[in-house]
Amino acid sequence: MSGYEILSIDDLDRYTSTSASYVLRPLRRRLGFRPFGLNVWEGPGAGDQVIERHREAGGDEELYVVLRGTARFTLGDETFDAPVGTLVHAPPGTLREATAVEAGTTILALGAKAGEAFEPSGWEDFYIAYAHLHAGDADRGRALYREALEREPDAWQGAYNAACFEAVAGDKDAAIEQLRRAVALDRSAREHAATDTDLDPLRDDPRFEELVG
Amino acid sequence: MSRRHVDELDSVEMPDGFVWRPIRRAFDIRAFGVNAYSVLESGSQIVEEHTESRLGHEEIYLVLRGRARFTVDGNDHELGPGQLVFVRDPALKRAAVALDADTVVLALGGKGGEAFTVSAWEAMFAAVPAAREERWDEAIRIHEEALEDEPEHPALLYNLACMESRAGRRLDALLHLQRSVEIDPVWAEHARKDSDFAAIRSEPGFP
Repeated sequence: MSGYEILSIDDLDRYTSTSASYVLRPLRRRLGFRPFGLNVWEGPGAGDQVIERHREAGGDEELYVVLRGTARFTLGDETFDAPVGTLVHAPPGTLREATAVEAGTTILALGAKAGEAFEPSGWEDFYIAYAHLHAGDADRGRALYREALEREPDAWQGAYNAACFEAVAGDKDAAIEQLRRAVALDRSAREHAATDTDLDPLRDDPRFEELVG
Repeated sequence: MSRRHVDELDSVEMPDGFVWRPIRRAFDIRAFGVNAYSVLESGSQIVEEHTESRLGHEEIYLVLRGRARFTVDGNDHELGPGQLVFVRDPALKRAAVALDADTVVLALGGKGGEAFTVSAWEAMFAAVPAAREERWDEAIRIHEEALEDEPEHPALLYNLACMESRAGRRLDALLHLQRSVEIDPVWAEHARKDSDFAAIRSEPGFP
């Protein structure tokens, strides 16, 4: 591994969300950067979401930097247009969202939790695993999420997301097994499972009824 | 302040010619290191030549606007908007010159496997305008605040002693200089040549 590397954000992989219009271009993963989370997000068309509406429930502090185009940000109660060079700081509990005012709007997102050594979160693996699944390469997606499960074996969200993946992939036995693990780790998984359309292929299975009620 | 354009950040003109645009301080970010750099004219240094050997930081420099020629480990690379250099090895020398007057470079950095801590150099950079205008109380306050996080940082103690000496606070200056030399004797050599200490050089106990 070389001591340094030159890269363009255009060289990064593109993973379109399976449930929204934004595109993830994973920067931290590509570089193997360890100090904090770092990703590039794109809205391909005007009006597309670039940053999904969310709060950082895990306590991450985030900074967004508009690299291309113009983004319409919502931060808490405020909505504003952010051209190239705008920096938007979002404390953990603040609701945030951004949509593309111009096609190709691109945002760099930095994030980590103050006072703690950064650990990559499993959501990146699952996001990319789902993208592979929807592109017809379930095995590639499966290999990726298994790495995430090995890294965080006690996180119910990992097992739950694996159940969703396998349900969509058509492997009911694997999906039920993962859902059983998720419920054993945290019973709140049952509430999510009750309404999650990813798990629809399991709903007529008696084992699902037994697990979720 | 939850948002700011990079052109609205403070501009701290450094002696080497580059302009520090503090981002982390602007938002009081506590989870990661992020700053920007700009220049007053094309051809100026925009990233000072340095290594990260002491801090052990991994660094990314991303060109936000304009063009810059980076020199990393002796190799030149001309980069434009959306291009970056990731310096994985802290020991490598890195520097950059702006090729356009409006060039802006984002600098991201931290140490893998450790919680982020604010680097002492930020306070030293932040105190430059106050020191240049001989507003010593303000320069001293910036150093004292940084020392609350890192009370045994020798360069911070040394710089604080410089400011105190210039401000006429001779006893404070001597005590802080002595402490910096106790932690790292190299500061004694600097002190002997440093004109900031003219006021205390003949004091008993001066290193």
